[in-house]
Amino acid sequence: MELLALLGVYAAVFFTLAIYTILYRENPWYRFAESVFLGLAVGYSVAMDMKYVRDQWAGQWSTSTIMMIGYALAILIGLLWYFRFTKQYFYLYRWPLAIIVGTGIGSALRTVVFAQFTTQIVAQAKLNLWVPNNTMTMFNNIMIFLMVPCVVLYFWFTGSYRESAPMKIIDKVARYTMMAGFGAGFGYTILTRYSMFIGRAQYLLGMTPNPAEAQPAFIVIALIMLATMIGYDLMQKKKTTAV
Amino acid sequence: MSFLEKFQNLDRRWVYLLAWIFVLMPLIFPLGLPVPINKESQQWYKAISDIPNGSVIVFSPMYGTSGMPELFPMTLATMHQLWSKNVKIIVVGFWAEGPLVFNQLLNQMDPKSYGKVYGVDWINLGYIPGGESAMRAFGDDMAKAVAKDYIEGKNLKEFPIMTTINSAKDVNLIISIETGTPGLTEWLRQWQEPYKTKIVVGCIGVSAPGMAPFLQSGQLSALLPGLTSSAEYELLINRKGLAIAGVDAVSMSHILVVALVILGNIGYFVSRGKKS
Repeated sequence: MELLALLGVYAAVFFTLAIYTILYRENPWYRFAESVFLGLAVGYSVAMDMKYVRDQWAGQWSTSTIMMIGYALAILIGLLWYFRFTKQYFYLYRWPLAIIVGTGIGSALRTVVFAQFTTQIVAQAKLNLWVPNNTMTMFNNIMIFLMVPCVVLYFWFTGSYRESAPMKIIDKVARYTMMAGFGAGFGYTILTRYSMFIGRAQYLLGMTPNPAEAQPAFIVIALIMLATMIGYDLMQKKKTTAV
Repeated sequence: MSFLEKFQNLDRRWVYLLAWIFVLMPLIFPLGLPVPINKESQQWYKAISDIPNGSVIVFSPMYGTSGMPELFPMTLATMHQLWSKNVKIIVVGFWAEGPLVFNQLLNQMDPKSYGKVYGVDWINLGYIPGGESAMRAFGDDMAKAVAKDYIEGKNLKEFPIMTTINSAKDVNLIISIETGTPGLTEWLRQWQEPYKTKIVVGCIGVSAPGMAPFLQSGQLSALLPGLTSSAEYELLINRKGLAIAGVDAVSMSHILVVALVILGNIGYFVSRGKKS
């Protein structure tokens, strides 16, 4: 393995373990890794955005005078973002903000009602409640047919009829439905978090296609970190005893 | 202090240590637990294998390095199946780290070994900033939204693949592997609804419950959630990778979580009973 690639592997192992040291306690390794990560993430994003802006200029906006003016105008409006950091000219920052929010909402609103609202209602209405050859699907469909309207009604806060007997049953069904939904969400969240951990563990163990050099790096760096953290703890204890 | 009270006040670092043991042990000593193939992975496999020859696919890695442990195995497996077919692939990301993820893929898979030529059979357009607005712009006119390709830095019209593909109207399927926003709902609003383009989504487990209604309504053709589904898909295409290597650890870690939840509840109810 090339020296540069090997350095990359050691850096990856170091930062993985440094981030995980937070599980033990807040410490300088963790703070260092956190700051480097944030700096790199922001730097990378800025670099990718700048590359896009540069490619747009070279690829099409530099081809005619009108395009050049449009490009310069866009850059100028973009620079107005930075007036967020001044109290005196803060109002200028509202212009790019208004443009971004306006175009974002405008482009989303053109289809949001169909994509996320009416299609869902139609799908609910079209549910097949009689599927004799597939009992599980039939059960699912009946449950969806009953539970979705209950949850919708649950959030209908106004009116005295909320205290009526049927609404109490509906409220109960809605609560159980939501609990089932949150349970599924929690289960999947656990899966995701563990999957992330498993992915990093596979890297630390050097499992193919990850570089095999990660395994010795894991042992060496883990031992160094453990020793320094125990040393750091002892030092802190001594300090507090001295005070 | 009784054992249960002591147990309830257990230092959380013991739980973290247990988590490390329950994950590392099955990775070092695989258990070979059975992996049943579920409906989701079968639907995904079918959606990809049913793509007709000559179709145009937009493949979008919409995640960063943090999502790689869960999503990268399915990205690799899907690209393997796609490159084994006769389809045109446009790789584009609306997440800044998308191109970085795809570079990692290219380090592990050589398109040439599948007989695919860059610029003819596939093209990488890199990252387009702007989220949902960028998705719309890309759907309306690809050449305007992306001035140059990501790998060679040439104008799009210089590539044979882009001579007949101009907008979302020319695309048959979107394959989006994603962790959040922009993601499925933005694809639905900017591509699926106006252009009726088919979508399949691979996502992290957290997102799956929120996406399920779109699968049920038919707006989404297939959904591949999480690492376990990736492992099933790896089995279906007969290409075992990191997902299948990780399922034992997934199972063991879930056993630990279930055991802790049960113990926590027992402790809670016993201590509540004592108090009352």
